[in-house]
Amino acid sequence: MNHIILEAKNITKSFGSIHALKNVDFYLYESKIHGLLGENGAGKSSLMNILSGIYQPEVGSIHINGNKVKKLNPDFASKLGIGMVHQEFRLINNFSIQDNLTLSKANIYTDNFKEGYEKYSDIFSLSADPSTPISELSVGEKQKIEIMKLIFNNNKIMLLDEPTAVLTPQETNQLKISLKKLSNEDNKTIVLITHKLKEIQEFTESIFVLKDGVMVAKDLETKNVTKNDLITLMMGEIKQSDISKDNKKGTEKLIVENIYFENMHSNVPTLNNISLKIRSGEILGLAGVSGNGQVELANIISGIERQYTGQVIVNGKNISNQGVKVRKNLNLSYIPENRLGVGLAPGVSIIDNSAVKDYFKSKFGPHLSTNKMLDYLNLLITQFSIKAPDPKAEVSTLSGGNMQKLLMGRELISNPEVIIAAQPTRGLDINAVEALHDLIVKQRNNGSAIMLISEDLDELFKLSDRIIVLYEGQIVKEFAIEEADIENVGLAMAGLNE
Amino acid sequence: MNKYLLSKKLIINELSTFYSFLIGLSIGITIGSIILLTQGQNPIEVFSLMLKLSIGSVKSISSSLNKATPLILAGLGISIINSVKLWNIGAEGQIFMGGIALNFIYISSEISNPNLMIIFLLSSSFIGGAVCILFPAIAKVLFGVNEIITTLLFNYIVIGLTVYLVNGPWKDPGSLNFPAAAYVSKEVYLPTVFGRLSYGFVICILCTLGVHYLKEKSVFGYELRIAGGSALTAIYAGINAKQKAFVAMLIGGGLAGLAGGVELLSQTHRVSTGLSQGFGYTAIIVAAITGMRPFGIFLVGSLFGALTIGGSVIQTMGVSSYISDVIQATTLFGALIAQFFFTYKIIRVSEDV
Repeated sequence: MNHIILEAKNITKSFGSIHALKNVDFYLYESKIHGLLGENGAGKSSLMNILSGIYQPEVGSIHINGNKVKKLNPDFASKLGIGMVHQEFRLINNFSIQDNLTLSKANIYTDNFKEGYEKYSDIFSLSADPSTPISELSVGEKQKIEIMKLIFNNNKIMLLDEPTAVLTPQETNQLKISLKKLSNEDNKTIVLITHKLKEIQEFTESIFVLKDGVMVAKDLETKNVTKNDLITLMMGEIKQSDISKDNKKGTEKLIVENIYFENMHSNVPTLNNISLKIRSGEILGLAGVSGNGQVELANIISGIERQYTGQVIVNGKNISNQGVKVRKNLNLSYIPENRLGVGLAPGVSIIDNSAVKDYFKSKFGPHLSTNKMLDYLNLLITQFSIKAPDPKAEVSTLSGGNMQKLLMGRELISNPEVIIAAQPTRGLDINAVEALHDLIVKQRNNGSAIMLISEDLDELFKLSDRIIVLYEGQIVKEFAIEEADIENVGLAMAGLNE
Repeated sequence: MNKYLLSKKLIINELSTFYSFLIGLSIGITIGSIILLTQGQNPIEVFSLMLKLSIGSVKSISSSLNKATPLILAGLGISIINSVKLWNIGAEGQIFMGGIALNFIYISSEISNPNLMIIFLLSSSFIGGAVCILFPAIAKVLFGVNEIITTLLFNYIVIGLTVYLVNGPWKDPGSLNFPAAAYVSKEVYLPTVFGRLSYGFVICILCTLGVHYLKEKSVFGYELRIAGGSALTAIYAGINAKQKAFVAMLIGGGLAGLAGGVELLSQTHRVSTGLSQGFGYTAIIVAAITGMRPFGIFLVGSLFGALTIGGSVIQTMGVSSYISDVIQATTLFGALIAQFFFTYKIIRVSEDV
């Protein structure tokens, strides 16, 4: 049995009123690979940031080799041998591999760089010469350099935050082999943070599961747990929906056919062969871990992204090559995932933000009349009970819930034919969530065709009539709501189809 | 342990810009007074003389307003560009370019109808200013090159061009070797309204109203505000943010060019390196003090015009005219600091949880 090299006891951390971590215990065995599993927002990154000294926990202690560590900062954590690879690379692009690896003062391979580089480039099967600048490497190679940087800085405990998110399946497989070698032959202790079940099962020996800031499972032996166990742990139980699903469905209002979209920066399609139909009075839930093409699909339907192939038909009109305004005139509403920054312009007044959907329409007069805009804003404020003390104040002075009500109100007041709502309730408190859910259901009953993009399965199960699952840019499953259960939706989201 | 943080105030007094201007102005006058005292002058005497000589008579008021005209026009140009949160530091160069374009058209065409010719010449100065900002605008929208740097650097290019023209091809043989182009014909001088007040000031009033409409009441101005707030929101709203920014930059550059044209036809009557006396830079101060509001630019520009006139005449008392520059600069400084305290509050947060 390996001894415990690092132990975090009873860690609590909150940001404002939100508890990111609640009394979390976490421990690592020397030279083992551990998996830390959890949905987005479960607290994985917060925990890792605490271990690497970036955040200070409010409660709890960290012990290394049994000795309590007083106050951790990134420098001190690195001296104790804890290193982290962040999701975004922290390499200097126009420096060579060697310069990047030996940049830190903690580096232990200054004199015998060649020897060290040979040893580890072999483990990582990296063929690049150390004088190659980082900018010439592929994403997979950069990832390897990031991990090697930890080794060169003498970090024996390596925290890897979603290392496979940017890798191809082949690169992922290679990373697995390299990490196993590092733990077996080089005594490295590794933590793999992920929400991908397949990887956690293949890579790790021991699994921890975080859910809503609570460690719901500790030190599970990987070979003894099934995928279904992990999904239930990670996602929890789904509450019974209290919303009637006997809504009348009418004609097909949104038809999307054979969408294919390739992002400029990648060679794998972001969306592939997407076809779907939504009828009036129907809510289609789009499930999927974020980054599987949801944002791109919403942008294509709403006319923001126009470099794609395929058809978008709204209310019988083919608008595939049309821009945003044409869709607005067909009364399509889009509630984007990024509410402040996309849906609302920060630094601009509440009153200006309230007119973003219809500002070019005649209801504000040929010359944008401040009074008419104010009337419109007041209508939104009363109808959607928004708390906005000063209409001329910047929109960022509103609370998150009121911002979202303003955004949703603006997009819904015209009783739209089609609504695309992306993560409409993310990060909001329970009362705001309830109010926004009521709005969506009311709009459904008014005959809108609604596409609800969400990572929150509770929300999807509560509101949707049908659920489709998007994985790596493809629709991998479709469920009528009565057939859907947490296990098969969860498995599909993880890319595991029987 | 306590920490101090800055936090944006939820509700900002609508008149805060005006109050900060008053605060800034009193700081400027106080500092100006201290300097005068150290020079052995009586500030009250100096300031009352400045007041008398700048607004004491119809003649002096009209001189002050003539001085204000290029400040206001260039300030309006800066303000419209700032709607998209871009800074035009190149108004000085655009003023010269406006004058150069005007003179170029003037020497290459015949005067048949003087009034039409004036309109034609002023339009060419507008276009000249727009051409002057064309390269920075293209570089901004196509490659994201920082417009502060490019517009600033263009000042040097245009001033170099002016020096070349007035010493070379355009040099007036009758100028007694003074580097300047020939005077334009009296027929195309801007007429005066009363006293010495040129019709340039009327143009200035019209432009103030026009820019106010464009910024506050038009769909174009709305689109500029959204694009300035967030490029992503603009795309989401179906606004072509880059195109709007491009057009705004051309209009703003054009207004500064027009300032040069008006100055040439009403005051200097020829192209020389003295066409602008730093109007393009003072206009930045004017626009910044007023929070880019067109009516504010009109008022503060007029005041700064009066200050400049007042400053230049007190030289006869043996006081340096730079006192008015000092007051202008410290007013900006004071107003910006005051604005900061109107916009932010300092809050104390305790660190223990």
